[in-house]
Amino acid sequence: MEQTIRAQTTLPPKIGFAEKWRRRLFGNLRDGILTMILIAAVLGLGSVAINWLVINAVAPWSTADLCREATGACWPFLVEKHRLILFGTYPWEQQWRPFMASLILLIGVGVSMVPHWQDKRLIWVWLGLAVTFTVLMRGGVGGLEYVQPERWNGLPVLLMLAIFGLVFAFPLGLFLALARHQDKLPALRAIAVLWIELVRGVPMIMVLFLGLFVLPLMMPDDIKLNPLITTMIALVIFHSAYFAESIRGGLQTVPLGQYEAADSQGLSWFQKTRLIILPQALRIAMPGILNTVLGAYKDTSLVVIIGIHDIMATAKMSFSDPVWQRYGLEAYLFVGGWFLATCWCLSSYSRWLERRTS
Amino acid sequence: MRVLRSQIFWQVAAVGLLIWLGYILAQNIEANLAKSNIVLSFDFLSAQAGFDISESLLSVSATSSYGAVILAGVINTLVLAVCCIVGATIIGVMMGIMRSGGHYLGERIAGLYIEITRNLPKLLILLALYLAMVTTLPVVRESWSVFGLIEISNRAVYFPIVEQGFGLWWLWAMIAVWPIAICVLGKVARRIQDKTGIRYPVIWPVTMCVLILIAGPAMIGLIDYQISWPVLKGFDFAGGGRISVQFVVLVLALSIYHGGQVAELVRGAIASVPVGQFEAAKASGLSFAQMTRLVILPQAIRAAVPSMGNQYLNITKNTSIALAVGYSDLVSVMTTSINQTFRPIELMTVSMCVYLGICLIVSWLVNIYNARVIAVRA
Repeated sequence: MEQTIRAQTTLPPKIGFAEKWRRRLFGNLRDGILTMILIAAVLGLGSVAINWLVINAVAPWSTADLCREATGACWPFLVEKHRLILFGTYPWEQQWRPFMASLILLIGVGVSMVPHWQDKRLIWVWLGLAVTFTVLMRGGVGGLEYVQPERWNGLPVLLMLAIFGLVFAFPLGLFLALARHQDKLPALRAIAVLWIELVRGVPMIMVLFLGLFVLPLMMPDDIKLNPLITTMIALVIFHSAYFAESIRGGLQTVPLGQYEAADSQGLSWFQKTRLIILPQALRIAMPGILNTVLGAYKDTSLVVIIGIHDIMATAKMSFSDPVWQRYGLEAYLFVGGWFLATCWCLSSYSRWLERRTS
Repeated sequence: MRVLRSQIFWQVAAVGLLIWLGYILAQNIEANLAKSNIVLSFDFLSAQAGFDISESLLSVSATSSYGAVILAGVINTLVLAVCCIVGATIIGVMMGIMRSGGHYLGERIAGLYIEITRNLPKLLILLALYLAMVTTLPVVRESWSVFGLIEISNRAVYFPIVEQGFGLWWLWAMIAVWPIAICVLGKVARRIQDKTGIRYPVIWPVTMCVLILIAGPAMIGLIDYQISWPVLKGFDFAGGGRISVQFVVLVLALSIYHGGQVAELVRGAIASVPVGQFEAAKASGLSFAQMTRLVILPQAIRAAVPSMGNQYLNITKNTSIALAVGYSDLVSVMTTSINQTFRPIELMTVSMCVYLGICLIVSWLVNIYNARVIAVRA
């Protein structure tokens, strides 16, 4: 008797498929009402989306003339304009160059993400990438036709500003974080605090405008700065402060004993920081750093406001032509798809890294 | 502590380098300005601006001074920021509770929403939403009417307003009394509950009283609210109030964008409440709403305050993307003024000081709140 009771209580109650879903969705009155509301919302939004995306849309392989009568999306528009959105007004026959330039940057990012390869060699890899990128985009050497920086648009500009901006901002941020985290050099610390708090206190667009309006004024007469360069400098200044704060978060978690142990081993400040403190701090700060990277990558699209032609600007360009004026949403959908895909890769990488280290 | 010679050396070197760099840059600026005959001064702030701000709480016109126009821009930024903060908080708290509320479908939908907003740039959301609204909403002459009260067109949303006079004064007074009465009576009710254990409702009765005080006198003819209705005249509406579609789009886009981030914070804060608290609340027989409101949220809010303060600051700073759709916030007024006067240094100094000031005030408030919360906890 006792045994049967125990058997009954420990066995999980058998429920069928339908019962499982009934309990999940209509377990009680509150859940039931919420389920109904959510299903209604999903069906409403979903039907609008599917109507626009598929049912009323013009298939990508048909001719664009059909778009005039259609009430849905015009996919032939993207077939026609995808190269304009990606590479803008870069000379048409030469567009393999921005394609290759973007590709090597993406491959470079992929390589840098492999934890096993994250060491000193990356500095050389990135220097090499910077040179190759410039040569490919600018040309003028090795039989490549010269292309003025004004005609660089779209994806390579976005990737260049985002990736090189972050690559240069990281060491600066590291320096600022170290300067703020110590108390032996109060003057250096004060400078770092001032830098970080000033930059974090103003919107990114203000820093970009500083680069646009004030930086050229600061230069001597004979130096004419390219807008891409001033924007890059502004981005480096801006991101460095955010990097500094995420790295400092990691530095603060390193126990005091680690510093004392390193000191008692007779390590110099540089050795101590490089060999003992930073490896621990950076590992802990990694999720925060990657969050900063994600935000910075997305915010790079703001450069369109100061007239840099990144992928948002070329998307706008693609539907500024009166014939194609009605298809702006398709262009934004294309750009949105790009950002969703790349950002999703970044955030999955961040999650994978977190799981790996914990 | 003994000060090492190397410490002094590095500090002197750093400060010296900075001063040297600053000196060179300042000299370059001076030389460049001298070339175009500009002297740094803030006198231009009292000069006539000559451009108009389409919508503003201050009355500015084309004859106003730069100072007045910039002030209007600051107020526009603040109004936009407050609206976005309210919107993002409402969306974020709802989505955050749904994300951790244990409802199968709700968790997944909220998760999808958070993932999408996390992976899209705010500018893209803003521009796509703006384009969608401008193309789907009707032109002014064919505006949609909501119960004859509100008119919606692709230029602005038009609504009736109460005109200047005793009615407006009374209305504002009641709106001010409402939260004060809730706070005061809430404290009284809590004291009674502490003493006797009886819970008296506060929010609903007070709200009803305020509504009666607003509507009652008008019904018996004591107060005449002079309502100005939007009326279509020519190509636009006359009378009534209006909110431009740019403002609406900005509030929507930033609320949706930051709602995702607020939802993540709320989810994290709820997750930080120990499971025992949920179980104890359920065991005490509280309903889900009571459990959330009385047990979980008060504890979760404490965990969330520092990051929420940060988030609100981000929202305030991000209102600067208003420039992309042509709403006259501080940055947009600043750029127009720079283009007209070519005084980037003075104008950027003013705007940066405003943003830094807002940041300082908000962090100060968050610190005060934090100190109070920690005092309560201890």
